[in-house]
Amino acid sequence: MDELEQLYQTTYTAVVRFLYRKVWDAERAEDLAQEVFVRALTHRPEKPRAWVFAVAANLARDEARAAVRRKRHLTLLKGDPVAQPTMEPAPDSAVEHDERMAAVQEALGTLTHRDREILLLWDAGLSYPEIASQTGLALGAVGTTLARARRRLVEAHDRQHPIKGSHAAHS
Amino acid sequence: MIDSIQSKAAMRHIPEEELHAYLDQGLSRSQCVEIESHLAVCPYCQAARDGIAALRDRTTALLAKLAPPRRIPPAFESLSRRASVMASARRRRIHQAAWAASLVGAIGLGWTANYVLTPRPVTPTAPANRVVPVVSTPSVTPTILRPQQKRTVAAQPATRRARRQQRPSAAAVAESLPVVPAPTLELSSIDIPRTDLDLELDGVWRTMSWDGAQAEAGDKLPHIDGLPVVQVQLQASRQGKQPLMVVAQQLTSGEVIRTIEGPTSDVSQLLARRTMTDPDPSSSGATDTTRSKRPPGQADRTMAMQRGDRMLVITGALPSDSLLAMIRRLNAEMRSK
Repeated sequence: MDELEQLYQTTYTAVVRFLYRKVWDAERAEDLAQEVFVRALTHRPEKPRAWVFAVAANLARDEARAAVRRKRHLTLLKGDPVAQPTMEPAPDSAVEHDERMAAVQEALGTLTHRDREILLLWDAGLSYPEIASQTGLALGAVGTTLARARRRLVEAHDRQHPIKGSHAAHS
Repeated sequence: MIDSIQSKAAMRHIPEEELHAYLDQGLSRSQCVEIESHLAVCPYCQAARDGIAALRDRTTALLAKLAPPRRIPPAFESLSRRASVMASARRRRIHQAAWAASLVGAIGLGWTANYVLTPRPVTPTAPANRVVPVVSTPSVTPTILRPQQKRTVAAQPATRRARRQQRPSAAAVAESLPVVPAPTLELSSIDIPRTDLDLELDGVWRTMSWDGAQAEAGDKLPHIDGLPVVQVQLQASRQGKQPLMVVAQQLTSGEVIRTIEGPTSDVSQLLARRTMTDPDPSSSGATDTTRSKRPPGQADRTMAMQRGDRMLVITGALPSDSLLAMIRRLNAEMRSK
């Protein structure tokens, strides 16, 4: 099997997830992920895994800039007065899922750009050297940044949603 | 004393970031061994490690909530196809850019060379002796007119009038075409007075769309990449081979250049007919002021190249150097197809 095909089979979902956490649009994340792999097939990079995530980060950044230009906010759907097309109310589990997701999204938004980027890269499965290479951070500083990012994410989440968190845990 | 120092070193606790890196497998093997030996004897660091492991798990669990709905990824083959389409489009863009660049360069060089090398009258003289810029029709003898010869011809209106009265026959013009047989890639140019957009075409000609012409002639359709196509005309060859093709394209300056490709005899006859039907600009009088006022540099020139039993021709109001560069490039392009 082609090296890129193997990478595609093992990494595509992680790339979509990585992009989704930046653009907050599932379909757009998939489109961008496919664009990333098409580019990889065209360029045939030497280190394809790190390259794929670097290009994904760039595409997400361009997407965010374009979104700013179009004056669309990523959280536009929240409180959007658009009429609900469904007649039945959403199931409780779906509502809870959305609330939990919004809570984590909010907590993630409190992190600095650097901390968030490194946390997401680590969660996407990149190694310390790959993270260091992509972000320009010293290898020894990756652990420090990750330690800070993890602590701040959990603290921010628990500070902003302590009751919902415990309620969800017990239900 | 030594034991005391060693115990102090052993009690130096592991920094938090190192424990994170240790759990993330971001340390070297020797660093891991060092940390594990310390953890074996340090309850404080063991507790710290457990706390960090819990924090790490909690972070992973929180981030797992930020996942899009799972869908089946598209087949890898579909991405491969997209990549090949992108790559070919990229190659085509590069190719067209190179073509356009070489075309601009050739035109620029041609105009520059034309400007530098064309002798101009230094001072105005009496009208009888003044050098009148005149574009000559192709002479019976297939020679390349040099600037000095042009001036000589122009300075002798009586001779020119006499020559005009002796219009060459079609066969003579066809024979006089400045073509050197294959395989030698020699080129020559002739000056033809400018005509309107429509060529003087004889026989059954079909004006076709670009796609239609391509479907019929395939990649043999003579054209210059990067220029908009104004008109495509095809005529079935009498020999039943590939048709005679005329593609008109417009330069950014508005000038129209034509690329003609077909059997040698057909192309020769076409050019001969065209020459015969074109009036000499100097004789057109007041009815055609455009032509009579056109300087020599604006006249249509034709560059022909013999390609086996077929002939490739480019004609347009461009300097010979530009046409030369274009036909060489076009010939190379058509050979490679």
